[in-house]
Amino acid sequence: MEILITDDSKAMRMIVMRHLRQAGFDDAVFYEAGNGLEGLEMVESHDLDLILSDWNMPEMDGYEFLIQLRSRGHEVPFGFVTSENTPDMLQKARTAGAMFLIGKPFTVDIFRETLRAAGVS
Amino acid sequence: MSEREAERVEIPEEVVEFLVESNENLDRLDQDLVALETNPDDKDRISSIFRTVHTIKGTCGFLGFSRLESVAHVGENLLSKIRDGVFTLDSQRTDALLEMVDVVRGYLAEVAATGGEGVREYPELIAKLQSLVEEEADDGGETAEPQAQAVSENAFIFPAVKKDTPQKTTSKLRTGDDKEVDSGNPSLNKTQVSSTPSSEVPAPSDIKPVLSETSVRVDVSLLDNLMDLVGELVLARNQILQYTSKDASTALSATTQRLNLITSELQENVMKTRMQPIGTVLSKFPRVVRDLANACGKQVALELDGKDTELDRTIIEAIKDPLTHLIRNAVDHGIEIPQIRQQCGKEASGTLRISAYHESGYVNIEISDDGGGIDPLRIRDKAVEKGILQAELAPKLSDREAMSLIFAPGFSTAEKITNVSGRGVGMDVVKTNIEKIGGSIDVVSQVSKGTTFKIKIPLTLAIVPALIVSAADERYAIAQTSLIELLRLDREQIDLSVSVIEGRAILRLRGKLLPLVDLASLLELRSASETKELESINVVVVQGEHGPFGVLVDGVVDTQEIVVKPLGNQVKDVAVFSGATIMGDGRVALILDVGGLASTAALNSGEAHSGEAKETDLLEGESVETKTMLVVKAGETSRLAIPLDSIDRLEEFDVGEVEWAGAAPVVQYRGAIMPLLWLSSFLGANSSFDEAPTTYQVVVHSSSGRSVGVVVDDILDITEVSLEIDSYSARLGVLGSAVIAKKITEVVDLSVVVESFLSAYEGIGV
Repeated sequence: MEILITDDSKAMRMIVMRHLRQAGFDDAVFYEAGNGLEGLEMVESHDLDLILSDWNMPEMDGYEFLIQLRSRGHEVPFGFVTSENTPDMLQKARTAGAMFLIGKPFTVDIFRETLRAAGVS
Repeated sequence: MSEREAERVEIPEEVVEFLVESNENLDRLDQDLVALETNPDDKDRISSIFRTVHTIKGTCGFLGFSRLESVAHVGENLLSKIRDGVFTLDSQRTDALLEMVDVVRGYLAEVAATGGEGVREYPELIAKLQSLVEEEADDGGETAEPQAQAVSENAFIFPAVKKDTPQKTTSKLRTGDDKEVDSGNPSLNKTQVSSTPSSEVPAPSDIKPVLSETSVRVDVSLLDNLMDLVGELVLARNQILQYTSKDASTALSATTQRLNLITSELQENVMKTRMQPIGTVLSKFPRVVRDLANACGKQVALELDGKDTELDRTIIEAIKDPLTHLIRNAVDHGIEIPQIRQQCGKEASGTLRISAYHESGYVNIEISDDGGGIDPLRIRDKAVEKGILQAELAPKLSDREAMSLIFAPGFSTAEKITNVSGRGVGMDVVKTNIEKIGGSIDVVSQVSKGTTFKIKIPLTLAIVPALIVSAADERYAIAQTSLIELLRLDREQIDLSVSVIEGRAILRLRGKLLPLVDLASLLELRSASETKELESINVVVVQGEHGPFGVLVDGVVDTQEIVVKPLGNQVKDVAVFSGATIMGDGRVALILDVGGLASTAALNSGEAHSGEAKETDLLEGESVETKTMLVVKAGETSRLAIPLDSIDRLEEFDVGEVEWAGAAPVVQYRGAIMPLLWLSSFLGANSSFDEAPTTYQVVVHSSSGRSVGVVVDDILDITEVSLEIDSYSARLGVLGSAVIAKKITEVVDLSVVVESFLSAYEGIGV
């Protein structure tokens, strides 16, 4: 399984990866991107099974990343990991085609539950 | 693993990464906050600041830094209101946010040191930020609460939705544990989902490709090791080049040439890895200037130029403190308060400009303000008042010389001592620190226009351009920073322009007297008398602390980029050398320290002549400013000292050359008539000669285009004398007296002597 973690904080990417490993994704291959633009590059060059993305990032935020992704015809499962989850954002995320949104702070259990419920194995 | 590393707290990788990026972001944040205060509508900066604090807060939660999190949390709340346009960023809010940033930095430092966030808490700051968050909105309306509808659970699964059917808002959002949230609630329906998001994002073709993972973090000590190794490689390469130049097969020569090119390229690239933009230092200054200007009640706009100028990281470290000091000085002492500025017809807000640029292998940094400038007259007064400068000498200093007094120890021109720039201790330290890294500092100032400090520093400390010289079969390197010019003199020119006075050689160069240091005899490689017999000499003119001087060497070998190696402990304290390098032939060449050369030469001469150098020795130790004096005999018992800088030339005339113009003795000198004056009779002493001499020793002094020959009985010595001259003197033309070689010696003010002589001379109508 190949997973892309998109977050402008490397520390946060490492934290997300640790949570994923502990949630049962310990044999996944992880890729990292620092913003939406870098994320798009990675999508073009890798066959990804899942994208986890922060919302608020420089250059291109997670929402635009998702919009761009879908407009280019990539249907890879996409979920947000972000601390802002206003109804407005939830609405936008869902409409744009996100599969789930995990708010910060999160736990290993939340990761496991959410990913299972979203059908990502 | 060394002991020290073993003792160090093991910090998890995630935390290390958190520290690195947080610190980087906070540095930028300082700058952003200050910029926003003047330009509060810069959305990009606001977002960037918000994101930084937001990320720190978010990450802390996972790393268990709850105290840090609580501070960042209230800061984030305030920032989110600013981002959403509820508040604008005024100075009160900026202050609070900057304070928060400082506290966050404190926590980060604690984490870096101990691995934990410590126990300090900041309830006052949190309360202050909280009260700012709860203030009414700036437009006086209701405080908007952008996150009012925060959902209690924080994971959401979205059922598959077609993205182009946004009207389907009645579907339910399921939470992580199957709680249902009614997405049909009124606040959700209000949100605008109709705008087509794809129109706001750039078309795919506009997106510039960005490669992820194009950089890695490398430990600084690894870079230092690399630099050392490359230094060694360069030396080995130089040696191989030298061997193959003598005899080598074509194949070996070709390979050597490739090795040569590759090594040069490698060296260049490794040096690049150590380069950092100067912006890393400059980015701290907007904050410094802002805080300081506020504290002094001044308005200062800071302009930064050339932030991308790169230099070695060790140098970046070394210039941080001197630059900070100069900038604090400029704000505190340079730029005037708004009222005064307006009285002078200037804008209320002062401008401080820092610009950095490359110039022929060096980096120049200029710090200029449009403040009150430095008044050379006030500098003279202050220097006299502080006992740095003798009152009588003050008017003789050029404005430029006077200006350089601000670098003298213990000098301050501030009207009052402030806690900002301190007591004026520091400008000397600034100068010392810059010189320590092979740099130089210069100041130009115009009263009421402003002051500019110009710092010139090498790009790197490890490899420096140097001049290789030889003396008595040994080779030495002189860093090119201090170099002024190279001279070659043959026998005839030596006889003509070099005078050796009591073992001290003086070169007449374009009408100026230049002290010479004979390198070989100074280093005791041969005696001074052997040097005298050389058929030709080379003089390297260098800039010393108290003016230029010449270093007499046997030959100038080459200019070369040398790899500087520190000296071993055994010779570290030898002032003449600052380091060592290895030459292409494998021999070691010592690097000469210009300052050390000057002081060592002065001391040696003192010892050689009087056998008692105690006075000079002591004074040197206390770093009292010294001046070079010509010691002469004029009159039976008089020993007199004449400051060397007031002397244009030393000449010797046969008695027969003296002619008479009316009642006045004159000589023909350089196509003009030069009147002669007898110093002994001018000062009211008898000549010391029992019988008439056959030659006259003449000290030539020029004043307002006229040269006067001052006849002395004998020239005794040239020596360094402290400027602590006892200034009491009733006699015209005498500055005072000083102790030179344990004898009271009167110091002659040659310009006063000559001027009073000239007015009398012209008065008698010659």
